[in-house]
Amino acid sequence: MIPSDHEELSVLAGEYVLGVLDPPQMREIEAALGENAVLRDAVAFWEQKLHPLSALAGHAEPSPGAWDAIAARIAGTSGQHAATGARRNAAPWRWAMAGFATAAAAFLLYVALTPAVPPLVAVLHAPEQQAASWIATTSGGGLHLSAVANEMPPPGHTFELWAIAAHAKRPERLGVIPSNGTLRIAALPRGLGEGATLAISIEPPGGSPTGQPTGPVVFVGALRAI
Amino acid sequence: MQAGMHPDAIFLRRRFMNAANTMPAWTALPLPISAGICPDGQARAFARPLGSGAVFAFHRMDQPASLSSAEVLLEAIGRGSQLALKRLYEIESRRLYGIALRIVRRPEIAADVLQDSFVQIWQNARRFTSERGAAAAWLTGIVRFRAIDAVRKLRREVLSGDPGLGDAPIEPDVIERIDADAQATALRHCLQSLDDNQRRCILLAFVDGYSHADIAQRLAAPIGSVKSWVRRGLIALKGCLQS
Repeated sequence: MIPSDHEELSVLAGEYVLGVLDPPQMREIEAALGENAVLRDAVAFWEQKLHPLSALAGHAEPSPGAWDAIAARIAGTSGQHAATGARRNAAPWRWAMAGFATAAAAFLLYVALTPAVPPLVAVLHAPEQQAASWIATTSGGGLHLSAVANEMPPPGHTFELWAIAAHAKRPERLGVIPSNGTLRIAALPRGLGEGATLAISIEPPGGSPTGQPTGPVVFVGALRAI
Repeated sequence: MQAGMHPDAIFLRRRFMNAANTMPAWTALPLPISAGICPDGQARAFARPLGSGAVFAFHRMDQPASLSSAEVLLEAIGRGSQLALKRLYEIESRRLYGIALRIVRRPEIAADVLQDSFVQIWQNARRFTSERGAAAAWLTGIVRFRAIDAVRKLRREVLSGDPGLGDAPIEPDVIERIDADAQATALRHCLQSLDDNQRRCILLAFVDGYSHADIAQRLAAPIGSVKSWVRRGLIALKGCLQS
C-alpha cells in the first residue's frame, strides 16, 4: 500500500532508493511508479540527493569483451524505437582494424603528390576508432574515394557515400561504392567544400531507397585543406 | 525534418555539425620533426618526416564535452542510435561497473549486471527526462537496482565469508571521500548531522546494497532498530537537505 501522507511517502521512496525493502515491497513500488507522479518525484529526489554516495564505490575496469556482449544482445532489437530490427544487423559486424601506418603512408603519398592548388582531403574512419579506412581527395571539382583497409559491407548490402555540407541540414547522396573500394565522382554537388563531412552508410543493394541514409553510418571524416 | 534518417546518422551529424568548422574530427597539422608526437598528451598522433623536412601528424580533436554528455547521449539512444550507446558505455562503464562490483562483489556477476543494465538503458532511454535530474543518477539507479536484485538472489550468506565485507562505509571519515561539488557538499554536511547508526545504515544500504536484515547482521543489532534508524535517518536527511 503506497501511503498518501507526504512524509510516509518520502520515507518509503527513500527506502526504495536505498534498496532495503523486501522484494515484494520493491515490486509494489515499481508497479505504482507509472501512475503515481508524487511517488515518482519522491524517488527522483532521493536518487539525485544520494547520488554523490555512489562515488564511494570507486571505478573498476569491465572485462574487454563486455561491450561486444552488449552489442550482440541489442543487435536486431530496437528497444522501444520505431526503427526496424533489420537495420541493426550491422552491429555485431567486426571492424577489420586497418593498420594505421598503411593509412598514414597513403595519406602522406597524397600529400607528397599535392599539386600547386591544394586539394581537400578527408580521412574516413569508423566512429571511435583510430584506424583510417578510406581516403577521399578532391581535384578539379570532383572527388576520388579509395579504400585503405579491406572493409566489406555485410552480405547483401552495399556501402554508400554521403556528404554533408558545413551548414547543411541533410546529407547529399554521392553514390554507391563499387566492390573494388574505389569511387570517382566527376563533379561534387555545389557547396561541398572545406568543413563538409563525408560519411559512409550501409544500404540495400543499389543504394538507399529514400535518398537519405537508412542504414548505420559506419565511417566518417571531414574534408580539410592541407 | 529528419524523418527517414537513421538514428546513428542523426547522432553523428549533430556531433559533426556542432563540432563546427573549427573542430574537425581529424585534421592534419604540420609539426617540427623533433616534436614526434602531438604536444598535448591527449592527442593520438603520429608524425613522419616528409621530403623537405615538413612533418604531418594526424591529430584527433576531442569532441566538445557538451556533445558527449550523458544527457545528450541518452537522447540519441532514445531515438535508436547504437553509436550513442557505445559512446555512453565508453564514458560510463568504469564508474557503473565499480558500483555493481561493490554491491555484488563478484566480477562475473558484476559483469552480468553491467550487461543487463546497458540493455535496459537501450530499452528505456526514452523514459529518461532531464527534468527529474541528472542522467548520471538515472544510470546509477539502473545499475544499483540490478545489482541489488542480483545480490538478493545470491543470498547474502553466500557472500558473508568475505572478510572485507562492508568494513569501509562504517568509518566516519568515509564521508570525506565524497566529491566536493555543491550537491555532494550538502549531502556530506547533512550526513554528518545524523547520529552514527543512522548514517551507517544509509551508507551500508546505498553503497553496499545491504537490506535491513544484512545491516542488522553487520551491526549486530535487532532488525527493528535498523528499520527505525533507516527511517529516522531519511526523515532527518530530507529535512536537512531541504533547509
